[in-house]
Amino acid sequence: MHLPAGLKDALAFWRPRKPPVPFAVQFKKFQIILERNNRILELMADMGDKLGGEYVFDRQYILTVCERLGDLVFKLISDLSVLTQRKNVELFLAFERIQHQIQEELAGRHSFPNLSLTLPMEELNRDASEEAGNKLANLGDIKNVLGLAVPDGFVITTKAFFDFLEHNGLPRLVEEGLDRWDGKDEQGLEDLSRDIRQRILQGEVPRPVLAQISAKLDALGARHDLRQALFAVRSSAWGEDTEFSFAGQYESVLGVPARRIAEAYKRVLASAYSPEAWRYRLHRGYLENEMAMAVGCQLLVDAEASGGLYTYVPLSLEREAIVINAAWGLGAPVVDGTAETDTYVLERAAPHAVRSLDTARKETSLLAAPGGGTELVPVEESRRNVPCLSPQRMEQLAQAAMTIERYYKRPQDLEWSFDRRGELYLLQARPLNIRPNEPEMCPLPGEAAREAEVIFSGRGTVAQQGVAVGKVFVVRDDEDLRNFPYGAILVTRHTSPRFSRVMRKAQGILTDVGSVTGHMATLAREYRVPTVVNTGVATALLADGEEITLDATQNTVFRGAIRELCRFELSAAEVFEESGEYRLLRRLLKRIAPLNLVDPHSENFKPGSCRTFHDITRWIHERAVEVLIGLSESHWRGVQATPRRLATGLPLGLMVIDVEGGLAAPQGAAEVQPAEVRSVPLSALLRGMDESGMWATEPVSVDLGSFMSSVTRTFSASGAAPQKMGRNLAVVSREYMNLHLRLGYHFTIVDAYICNRIDDNYIYFRFLGGVTDFIRRSRRARCIAEILERLDFRVEVHGDLVVARIKKLSLPRMREKMLVLGGLISYTRQLDVRLQNDEDLARHAEEFLQRIAPLLEVVT
Amino acid sequence: MNGPAQASAPRRRILVLDDEPIVCKRLKPAFQKAGYEVETFTDSVQAMARVEQEHFDAVITDLKMEGVDGMHFLARVKEVSPSTGVVVITGFATLETAKESFRKGAFDFVAKPFKLSDILETVRRVLGEESHG
Repeated sequence: MHLPAGLKDALAFWRPRKPPVPFAVQFKKFQIILERNNRILELMADMGDKLGGEYVFDRQYILTVCERLGDLVFKLISDLSVLTQRKNVELFLAFERIQHQIQEELAGRHSFPNLSLTLPMEELNRDASEEAGNKLANLGDIKNVLGLAVPDGFVITTKAFFDFLEHNGLPRLVEEGLDRWDGKDEQGLEDLSRDIRQRILQGEVPRPVLAQISAKLDALGARHDLRQALFAVRSSAWGEDTEFSFAGQYESVLGVPARRIAEAYKRVLASAYSPEAWRYRLHRGYLENEMAMAVGCQLLVDAEASGGLYTYVPLSLEREAIVINAAWGLGAPVVDGTAETDTYVLERAAPHAVRSLDTARKETSLLAAPGGGTELVPVEESRRNVPCLSPQRMEQLAQAAMTIERYYKRPQDLEWSFDRRGELYLLQARPLNIRPNEPEMCPLPGEAAREAEVIFSGRGTVAQQGVAVGKVFVVRDDEDLRNFPYGAILVTRHTSPRFSRVMRKAQGILTDVGSVTGHMATLAREYRVPTVVNTGVATALLADGEEITLDATQNTVFRGAIRELCRFELSAAEVFEESGEYRLLRRLLKRIAPLNLVDPHSENFKPGSCRTFHDITRWIHERAVEVLIGLSESHWRGVQATPRRLATGLPLGLMVIDVEGGLAAPQGAAEVQPAEVRSVPLSALLRGMDESGMWATEPVSVDLGSFMSSVTRTFSASGAAPQKMGRNLAVVSREYMNLHLRLGYHFTIVDAYICNRIDDNYIYFRFLGGVTDFIRRSRRARCIAEILERLDFRVEVHGDLVVARIKKLSLPRMREKMLVLGGLISYTRQLDVRLQNDEDLARHAEEFLQRIAPLLEVVT
Repeated sequence: MNGPAQASAPRRRILVLDDEPIVCKRLKPAFQKAGYEVETFTDSVQAMARVEQEHFDAVITDLKMEGVDGMHFLARVKEVSPSTGVVVITGFATLETAKESFRKGAFDFVAKPFKLSDILETVRRVLGEESHG
């Protein structure tokens, strides 16, 4: 058979016997893999940044970026195939699977990722609204993102709803009934409604649904005593508690014993077909197949007092306030408007001073009846004229409410209860529409913003958009962080993952230094706290206690409180985070960015387990490094540049391959002295390791002992064949270094290029820790991230994997960064053993920065 | 003085044309907040009719839209109202399209995705206003 030469060459890679591909060629391929890998990670970070709201992007952007990413990942797999001379079928299959899911999302068919019939409370969030309905998805956010208490329980999903209808032959009956109905005859709709509801109430709950309900009850039983417990079984339909609130359209059943949940479930489902609810949907143009009812089953709060709350009530043009209604016992009568209730009016601004307090005479309260259901009980005389809430509880409630408002960027209509132990529970949150009917009625903030003094504008980068009004609180150390007041704006020098502690209390965040791809920025987006990083001037221009308005959408800081800006945002036609494009990008990122393949030693670290593009790139990177090390060990006789052992006092066991101009040692020498290293990155790194003195001052611990023994083994073998050496390898040229270092349990990769052309310079640092418990490992990762963020690296943390990058700095600055990395590698190699708690984390980061400071060449 | 115009001066008028509603939805409040009067269109025929009816100080237009050529729209706007500053926004930024936009009289050319603060800054420059900060 005659084949063109090029094709023959290409096919040669798949020949069973390895052809002697020159090491230089393999190494080139390896570098291409690293490069592509970095581009993929950068593109993913870029997509994540777009969720912050600073950029205007459209659907076209989403399509383009997905296409580019898919293309890069495909090529990356192909690169690996060339390097390893294997077909990597499993990787390609994983790629196809993910690519298919992305295409489905882009086509608007989001396949239910989760086909569960029930979901526990702790798994709910806004992304689960398809399965859990909007009401319970909102509660999921409130519990799982904002950290506020909601009653424990689970949701019976919309999948179960469809199964129920199907099982009882209802979809056909509904469809035929509506076809027959002329759209006007009220009696006709009522007859149809009665028929459907009866069939639901008499219908059979499918066996798998029942089985799932009891499984969830068993799980709850492990946390609560369910013998006396009663449940609130509540509707959570598609679209409920959104802009169309469907308020009061669907039924809730209170005081349901565990064994009667299925019955209550059917009552709630039936309420979806009440004439009122049906008319409401038809009136608003809902199609019949847009009706889906999930049902929440939550423990009924043993309520001392309950009620409703509006976060935003315009009392007059200038005065806006929080209004709370409250009564003793359960909240249903407050919401129905059937009970006498207290009314409290509070300031919207922290600390939410009470402006007026109107205490009603409360004759009765609704309580759970012991055997099930609820009953109206007379209130004892002594409590009738007493306010249901103390000022402290009012403030606590107001804080929770404003936290929710800030998150959703919409005024909120809330239901809440305090139980008999004084615990606050949120029962429901829905947006409150305050958009005036006449647009002219709403004064544009342009006027107000125009009068206001701009403190600074356009400085730094927006990590999360939004408007915040509050008092500046400058955080310098952990002590300040502990004292951080609710409702303040955090102003600080550096970004830090430590600030996650106050994320829920802060109105906004401003930093002098930091990047939008850092860990803190990700958290700010998760909590939706308006945040601008890298302003350069925040701590210099803003004083503790001064009131400011941060417009993180337009990136401007004003002196004083400009409430018009807040109001403008709260009444905007669409919240960015609710837009279709935002939600699509977020859903796509779930197929792309999460990292599931964290531990290379785990059984799941294999191509078949790759569930995202990040997983694929991670696996390939790991594999490529292994292959390269293997190659340098087994093929090194064929390589012109011979690996040489670095003769250093440090226990590194490092072999160095010089590609071009990286070493000054004579050819053929088996050893190279540190002074003979000409490679700029390696030489700086070694200096950092050596001169920082971080190896020597190590207190010897048990773990260190075992580490030393592994090092000793490496050393005693140093005279033996190179394949028995440690797996530590550096490939260098004058400007370049690619270092793979396994020290003890840790695995570090540094890839760097440093020369006189600023634009070419970069450092890529990756750290992955080994065997300790997960909490300590992630603490160590956070400690390293903290240090690197302070040194202006762009840092990403995925579990215990830290990736840090920096680029385009001058040669002396880059050399300084390498020096720091050398110190850091030395310092952190046993760090997890010493990180006993989160306080240690900050202390160690601080200690390291102080100890490394004298070595730095460039004054910052 | 930090705002885009004197307090007594009439508000500057801006028209935005982009066939993707999300772009209009995000630009409108951003410009309103900065004190401008804003009209947005996703349909170029309607936008053109409006331009012929009323004077706008600045026009922001997409280049590639379903069924319409943004370049044509740009040319028409400059024909009807030469004093109107036109900013072209596009997701398919090439040197060629940029050159052609400038030839047809565009004031500036901004690649999508862009930062809100950048487009605001560009419009301030179009209108010859002082910038913030």
